Amino acid sequence: MTEPTEPTGKTAARRTGRGFGRVLVTVYGILAFAALGRSSYELVVKFGEAPVAYTLSTLAAAVYVVATFALAIGTPAWRVTAWITVGIEAVGVVTIGALSLADPGVFGESTVWSGFGQGYGYVPLVLPFVGLWWLWRTSRSTSEERTA
Amino acid sequence: MILGLLLLVVALCVALAGWAGWFVARDRAVILNQLWGAAVIEVLLLVQGVVAIVQGAGGGGASDPLLFWGYFATTLVILPVAAAWAFAERTRWSSVVLLVASLTVAFLEWRMWQIWMGA
Repeated sequence: MTEPTEPTGKTAARRTGRGFGRVLVTVYGILAFAALGRSSYELVVKFGEAPVAYTLSTLAAAVYVVATFALAIGTPAWRVTAWITVGIEAVGVVTIGALSLADPGVFGESTVWSGFGQGYGYVPLVLPFVGLWWLWRTSRSTSEERTA
Repeated sequence: MILGLLLLVVALCVALAGWAGWFVARDRAVILNQLWGAAVIEVLLLVQGVVAIVQGAGGGGASDPLLFWGYFATTLVILPVAAAWAFAERTRWSSVVLLVASLTVAFLEWRMWQIWMGA
């Protein structure tokens, strides 16, 4: 009994950075770059205006960078890192998004995650859940292939 | 920045995205001709950079130079990364990556124009 798999689906250990994973890593990479650029700009130019918001942006940027590398490498050890960082993003964007909607002035300034990532076309909201799905999916097919 | 040059870059990005999208639909990986297309866009981006430096030296630069050059650096990186993935991933997913990359460059061009004009 065979399941329809992607072209790369038959390899022994499914890497998170292959096939559809490349698209995920690309979008993560772009977002990491955007968040990193934004936060370094904010830290250098106007950190004093809203330290909480800009610290949050920097944190988010760091998490995106680590998640990008973890997903791109995709070995078992890095997979754990990917689960954690992508998980932090999912929690972060929902929490910060909700808080920023409830009280727009709560962080003094907007962050990457404000308004559920509105400033980035809601990509920060969608991406972590796609990431979690992908991690779940690749881990599941690895175990299926082991038992088969 | 020169509006005509910017519009040319955006048009080429959209065209490349359309080409890549067609390849996604036909389940094909990126081909070398598409990467030549990306290379042409990359050269035009560099020309934009030179133009921006010249304009800046003449006193007509971006309203926020740091932000502008940050965006500029990002646009330069994206297509080469997509090209590298195209060599590594010989499935339709490389076409999806090229599609996303082209549209991102087009979007960043628009943002760069906004920053240049001081919006």
